[in-house]
Amino acid sequence: MNLIREIWQSIVRRDPLSTDKGKSELVFLNVWLHIHPAKVKKENLRFKHTFYLGFITFFLFLILLTTGIALMCYYRPFPPQAYQDMKDLQFVVFMGPFLRNMHRWAAHGMVVCVFLHMCRVFYTGSYKKPRQFNWVVGVLLLLLTLGLSFTGYLLPWDQLAYWAITVGTNIGSYAPLIGGQLRELLLGGHSVGEAALLRFYVLHVAVLPSLIILMTIVHFWRVRKDGGLSRPVWKLTPEKAEKLVTIGAPAEAVALSVATASKDKTYGLMEVVTGKPIFETITPEEEADTVFSYPYAFVREAVVLMATVTTIMTMSLFLNAPLEELANPAKTPNPAKAPWYFLGLQELVSHSALLGGVVAPALMVLALIAIPYFDRNPSRRPCDRKWIIWLFTFFVVVNLVLIVVGTFFRGPGWALVPPWVHVVSGAE
Amino acid sequence: MERRLQQLFFALSLVALALILAAAWQANTPSWKTYQKNFLQLEAQGEPNAVAKAAVLATPPEIHQSLLPGLQRVDRCTTCHLGVEDPTMKNAPEPFRYHAGLGPHVPARFGCTICHGGQGLATDKESAHGKVEFWQTPLLAKDYIRASCGRCHKEGDVPDVPELAEGRHLFETQGCRGCHKLNGVGGSIGPDLTEEGANRRAPEWLERHFLAPNAVSTGSAMPNFHFTKEQARNLTYYMLSLTSEEMGTYFSSMRSIPGPAYGRQLFIEKNCITCHAIGGVGAKTGPDLLGVTKRHSPEWLDEQLVNPELVYPGSAMPEYDLEPNARKALVAFMASATAEDVQSILSGKPRALAPEQIAIEAGKQNFARFGCVGCHGTELQGGVPNPNAQGGEVPSLLHVSDDYTKDEVIAIIRNGRAPPLDNPTGPTPPLYMPSWKHVLSDEDINRIADYLWSKQQVKKDSW
Amino acid sequence: MNRRAFLSWGTVGLAALCSAVAVSLGAVCRFLVPSVFYEPPQSFKIGNPADFPFGPPAFLADEKIFVFRDRDKGFAVASAVCTHLGCTVAHFQSDQRFHCPCHGSEFGADGSVLHGPAPRPLNWFEVTLARDGQLRVDKDKTVPSSYRLVV
Repeated sequence: MNLIREIWQSIVRRDPLSTDKGKSELVFLNVWLHIHPAKVKKENLRFKHTFYLGFITFFLFLILLTTGIALMCYYRPFPPQAYQDMKDLQFVVFMGPFLRNMHRWAAHGMVVCVFLHMCRVFYTGSYKKPRQFNWVVGVLLLLLTLGLSFTGYLLPWDQLAYWAITVGTNIGSYAPLIGGQLRELLLGGHSVGEAALLRFYVLHVAVLPSLIILMTIVHFWRVRKDGGLSRPVWKLTPEKAEKLVTIGAPAEAVALSVATASKDKTYGLMEVVTGKPIFETITPEEEADTVFSYPYAFVREAVVLMATVTTIMTMSLFLNAPLEELANPAKTPNPAKAPWYFLGLQELVSHSALLGGVVAPALMVLALIAIPYFDRNPSRRPCDRKWIIWLFTFFVVVNLVLIVVGTFFRGPGWALVPPWVHVVSGAE
Repeated sequence: MERRLQQLFFALSLVALALILAAAWQANTPSWKTYQKNFLQLEAQGEPNAVAKAAVLATPPEIHQSLLPGLQRVDRCTTCHLGVEDPTMKNAPEPFRYHAGLGPHVPARFGCTICHGGQGLATDKESAHGKVEFWQTPLLAKDYIRASCGRCHKEGDVPDVPELAEGRHLFETQGCRGCHKLNGVGGSIGPDLTEEGANRRAPEWLERHFLAPNAVSTGSAMPNFHFTKEQARNLTYYMLSLTSEEMGTYFSSMRSIPGPAYGRQLFIEKNCITCHAIGGVGAKTGPDLLGVTKRHSPEWLDEQLVNPELVYPGSAMPEYDLEPNARKALVAFMASATAEDVQSILSGKPRALAPEQIAIEAGKQNFARFGCVGCHGTELQGGVPNPNAQGGEVPSLLHVSDDYTKDEVIAIIRNGRAPPLDNPTGPTPPLYMPSWKHVLSDEDINRIADYLWSKQQVKKDSW
Repeated sequence: MNRRAFLSWGTVGLAALCSAVAVSLGAVCRFLVPSVFYEPPQSFKIGNPADFPFGPPAFLADEKIFVFRDRDKGFAVASAVCTHLGCTVAHFQSDQRFHCPCHGSEFGADGSVLHGPAPRPLNWFEVTLARDGQLRVDKDKTVPSSYRLVV
């Protein structure tokens, strides 16, 4: 009995959870949990503040990681076999369809959630100082997510995959000077073929996941180091907004003194270093506004996790991921469509190659990256930043409208056809 | 609030548990397991005692598959069609019935889909029978299954499937190649037919299409050849057999079926007629072969073809190094050959003709083989509709010499030509004269011109 | 707030989550067990009895088996896989033994180990007559070396 206790205590070296110290130690003595602060601000836990979109995106990524590794056991990235393996997943592998469906729907979900997360961060003005760089990391994560989704789209090697990637990579080839070469480099040839499948596979299972994991670590780290979640706008008074002090903001930082420091608080190692404090300095009344992460934050995260998992599972039980005929380079489906998140661009390309292939994507990426550095307005209140909100909303709406048009309103020959009209293509 | 959240977490975890159990249950109860259970019960009925019955019933469910790398497919049909090779299942209900008459084509070696179509990888009825979206080759209707023989047996005769040979003959004589490519040779006006059997259209569609191209494919440039129903059926069979799929060495070695047509071809190729006669027609060096199959047993004839000296000491017949199928084919030909047959072989030989006749005859054959007849007609009468071309149809060639010199005609054959338009602003006519210089040699083209000139008719109103 | 109830709901929630994870792990393990094999089947037909000669065994290289046919005793099928480390053994007619080329193991006519590092005798597989009259070998079913199928 003593031995068991000793073993347990060697693993969990914290006070009982009934004590405040135990609750804190649960967080910061645990390698997996210590990305959380021991205490969080109450209002930051409110669902309406963040909709937990970052968490949902992260949980979807975890689903993708686990199902993806499982699926790799049954997949060979060579043209005829790749398609046969899809059929095997569908017909003979135990729960093969379910896992493939989960991977598919979680992937689409991640694209949606990462985008919504970005919108939330924009509208709450959370990209502003000191969080500019984390916004940029976020934009990179968005691009990596799109890249993962796009490379994964080819792997089933059916008609849908083949032509979506053919069209998708051709959108990219409109980029001036390097577009064509870039496409060749990506495909390992002039058209989508054996080499392209292998390259997309390597990108999909090795390169891009490693990058996205690395960038996610940076993203999470910076969330903490930039002072945790940005506070809800309605909680901000102008003075308080300026009181946030972090590393790298020494000028306004209030030196930690015995008078301002909470008596019950212990401070970390950095205290012995001379200079300004690295903790966010908070006043006693602010501290009263916080709660321990255990259990308040954890239970919310657990609920969001389970809600995400059950949603994806339910979808996977009832909705099957598409699988069309074996890829046939000699037979173009009409219309051939890129993956849905690039249909806005394809729609633009159908009007102007320059606009859709070059200007729009470049503008979008550059503008997104530049937002925190050009928008120097320090206020996070919507009423103080009307024009940029209008501008961002305009781009979001235009993009969504184009995607909807491209997805549902384009028929054979890229003609405008409402989704309720059924068009029989060709004579046969 | 906190309590509510924890309850919610508990509830959602239970839902997740239920969902994963539901998915596992769904995965564990595929329809093929039910079929296997029913089959085992059927099989157990035939067992004499309770112990054997129990042993049969205890067979664990498993997916059966034939790995067929030579045919580039994996067929799992026998997962449900369990009695295919079991003669005691002759009267069993489907999907358990015995497949009579398989001969050498056992599922372990050939699978099922190579002949029947369907989706071999699938394990549920609807998908396996291929009657689902995104599967191009559903099960062939019973009437058309025999067409699949031609997928491997590309040359020679397929016993009991005369349709294939007939269809091939029609294809080669009706000028289909004028518009359609097959294995790289032919025109580009219509679709390439090399893969016609592989991306199978519905056979019924093909058959209706041959009877009236315009009725099923509106605006089709293909002329109506006024085929009979039987001819349409034969062509459909031939179309269904067209595929460039590599069937592997094992299968292609078996391709030439030892039938009389293959034998006839060998008889011509090996110049048997130089020494032998049939029914008095031919040379007298060797014995007359009429009725030779009645005089000798097939084994005797076979050995004679392997080593004439051994069977018939002092025989002057050379050894031909014929493979077994070729010998069988020759014997089959000799069994059916008649004097008229040899006559026709001889008349097909250029040697029997005058030199200028040879050229004209060769020209006529090329005119048919390369598809000129498809548009210009077997009697050079033309008349196939070609909207917005001058005259609205493909011109007759019976009066070319009135308008062109021979060299001009040769140039047109060599380089091709777009027809002059009726209405210069109207649409491009669907049919045009393709360029033949990469397909036909100059000599071949000259011969076609010779043939044309041999057929020229003097205009009645000329004086 | 009732701390007891608060904790217990969290605990049962965690228990439910753990069971869901456990079932998922089980499902993934089952997922990884292949339902079909892209390799020669373990149970297969080797041809008609009349195809096999009396006397020296027929070696089927793809299946890695020896097929013995005795005039009076019938058919027996021996594995050609050495029980030591899996090399393919050869049958010598001269001394009626199986010799392994890798580490010199020798097996007697009944498959028993005579020399070398092999830990166990060679396997003998069940051979039966299928309904269509062909011989069927099942590598999943081992039988004593005395097993014979009399046709």
